[in-house]
Amino acid sequence: MSAPSDLAPVWHYDGISAVRRQAMLVADGDGFTLRHGDLTGERHAFADLTPGDRDAQAATFGLAGRPGWRIGFTDAIPPDLAARLPRSQRYGRWVDRLGLWRAAAGFAAVATVVVVVVLRTPAIVARMVPASVEQRLGEVMVGDFGRKGCQDAAGRAALATLKQRIDPDDPTLEIQVVKLPMVNAVTLPGGRIVVFDGLLKAADSPDAVAGVIAHEIGHVRNRDVMESLLRQVGLSVLLGGLEGHVGGYTNALLATAYSREAEARADGHAIRLLSDQRLSPIPTARFFTRLGRGADGAERMFAYLASHPVSADRAARFRRSRVTGERYTPALDAPAWAALRGICRGETDTIDWRF
Amino acid sequence: MDDDRAADAKAFRFTGTWQEFAPIAFTNLLLTIVTLGVYTFWARARTRRYLWSRTRFIDDRLEWTGTGLELFVGYLIAFVLFILPFGVINLVLQGVMMRGHQGAAGLMVFVLYLAILYLLGVARFRALRYRLSRTFWHGIRGGSDAQGVRYGWSYFWKTAVSFLTVYLMTPWAMARLWNERWNAMSFGSIPFRSDARWQPVFGRFLLFYALPFVLTIAVGLLFVTMMGAQMGGAFRPGAQPTAAMLILFAAVGIAFYAFFFGALGLVAMIYYAAFFREAVGATSLGRLEFGFGATTKDWILLYLGNLGLVIVTLGIGTIFVPYRNWAFFVRHMAAYGEVDLDGLRQSATREPGQGEGLLDAFDVGAF
Repeated sequence: MSAPSDLAPVWHYDGISAVRRQAMLVADGDGFTLRHGDLTGERHAFADLTPGDRDAQAATFGLAGRPGWRIGFTDAIPPDLAARLPRSQRYGRWVDRLGLWRAAAGFAAVATVVVVVVLRTPAIVARMVPASVEQRLGEVMVGDFGRKGCQDAAGRAALATLKQRIDPDDPTLEIQVVKLPMVNAVTLPGGRIVVFDGLLKAADSPDAVAGVIAHEIGHVRNRDVMESLLRQVGLSVLLGGLEGHVGGYTNALLATAYSREAEARADGHAIRLLSDQRLSPIPTARFFTRLGRGADGAERMFAYLASHPVSADRAARFRRSRVTGERYTPALDAPAWAALRGICRGETDTIDWRF
Repeated sequence: MDDDRAADAKAFRFTGTWQEFAPIAFTNLLLTIVTLGVYTFWARARTRRYLWSRTRFIDDRLEWTGTGLELFVGYLIAFVLFILPFGVINLVLQGVMMRGHQGAAGLMVFVLYLAILYLLGVARFRALRYRLSRTFWHGIRGGSDAQGVRYGWSYFWKTAVSFLTVYLMTPWAMARLWNERWNAMSFGSIPFRSDARWQPVFGRFLLFYALPFVLTIAVGLLFVTMMGAQMGGAFRPGAQPTAAMLILFAAVGIAFYAFFFGALGLVAMIYYAAFFREAVGATSLGRLEFGFGATTKDWILLYLGNLGLVIVTLGIGTIFVPYRNWAFFVRHMAAYGEVDLDGLRQSATREPGQGEGLLDAFDVGAF
């Protein structure tokens, strides 16, 4: 015999037809039956009931494995019956179990760890990737772009002299000048350094060009390109779930912060190289100051500014590294400097259009 | 139940309030941020559960049974099958460009575009099928037996035809695609029927072609105005432009921009309002005929309302946009005729296992 408190009026859909029935739920032990008039349905376990959503239809229940099967309580649920029913869901299983605020705090902690790991590991992993693998990756991404640089014989000889002067210890270093009217120099994946002709035109001293190349050598040594590639991949996977713009901005913001760090490190490397080779850091500092002011040909300078944020601090750092009493010698003598600036003489356009 | 009928004869009613929705929207936002976006899928399921539960059709409310997990799985599948390969192709494309093979790169982009066009059609079909399969009313759900593969081809070539006819065939393609989509769907044991026609909306569609003429006249007028300002002596060639002149130029530029997109948006809404009325009005389920009552003005107010809400709240209001859109949709939906509850049996269609992942990937709507 069931006590009155084990009875509750419900509406019911059987999930087979659309007809809505009024029934009486009769609870006994860990299960229940539905009674329509004289008919008693099959027995179900309370454990098989699936709860409704607290914000939507809290007092309705489904039955596991029976799509569309529903019961809903029309009156208040008797307390000892309520105790046997599954609790309604709201945010999702994990959050419901922990509570909103504790779950949010937990997720935030995990998210912080994930972000830190994604931002930190590229630096470690990049240095573990063998140079040959990076080179092959570079081949895939940029092909032989920048490999066939400007060909003027005297210019190339001057470039070789300059390279020898900046970093005499590394014969594998690859530096090319490409004829493009941009004041910029880049390090491509695979550690290939490309100096644009526009930068040679804009620089007023071979020492400034030496400073810029030394900076790019810093990128090669630190594996910065590999690192930023890995970080980009990590961030775009991580932030892929966020709504388009939000993810994009966050990504750009984080990437910029790290590229600034990499720039500072490359500057440090450049300063060390210049100082080892008794090259004056002052022309490089002056060059940066000029770029920062955007004094001449402002729009052409933007390329360098965009990829290498120039601040007064950067120029000042080069300037500070000057040692008074040190006997600095120019990176190239006047004829060689003239030859280097003319390295792209006779070139038309280094980007050839092929099918 | 009888009271409900007496009080309001409308078949569809929306009973939600924004005060009730606000806690859902804000907790969704919080959880989405702290999970780096992963919660989005659960947030969407929660939003739909609420919105569906506040939508009454005749005598009972709708129920959304889709889960965040299946949306998440759908997204992961789309990611592995489509986003990842596209990313790799993009990388290869860069390499091809850098090697100077612009022609080959162009060809690859073209083929990629065609592939995306096909997938877009499949995605749209499958999203509608998924949504119907998770929508319950009286314990009965909707669905479709088709997988969307054939619809994808139909979408592909109809879009191509509409493009090749300088978009003149667009209303035809849209009406046909609507019919194909809905004729493949069913609710419970009853199939949807749709025979939307393109003729009634074609006149409004022609407004798109009138737009360039209107714009030309507007530009002409602007030019004359500018010339007039010059005649006034404020601007001499070679002289430094005054601040007032610069402001005038900027104002004219902004005015043109606003006018261009305003006019384009207006025409789009004039056309779309008519198309949606025609399409929904031509759709039926058994002895139930549907209708949609929103006029162009209603659409414009919805759009401006959403825009204003987002701007005034500095973007936070975006979380209320799904609520506003759904409420708009339900409030303008109408149904006539009757439902034979005894004859309406459970759907025998196969339930799709995961959510609208592909559609998420392309970021388009379902209807």
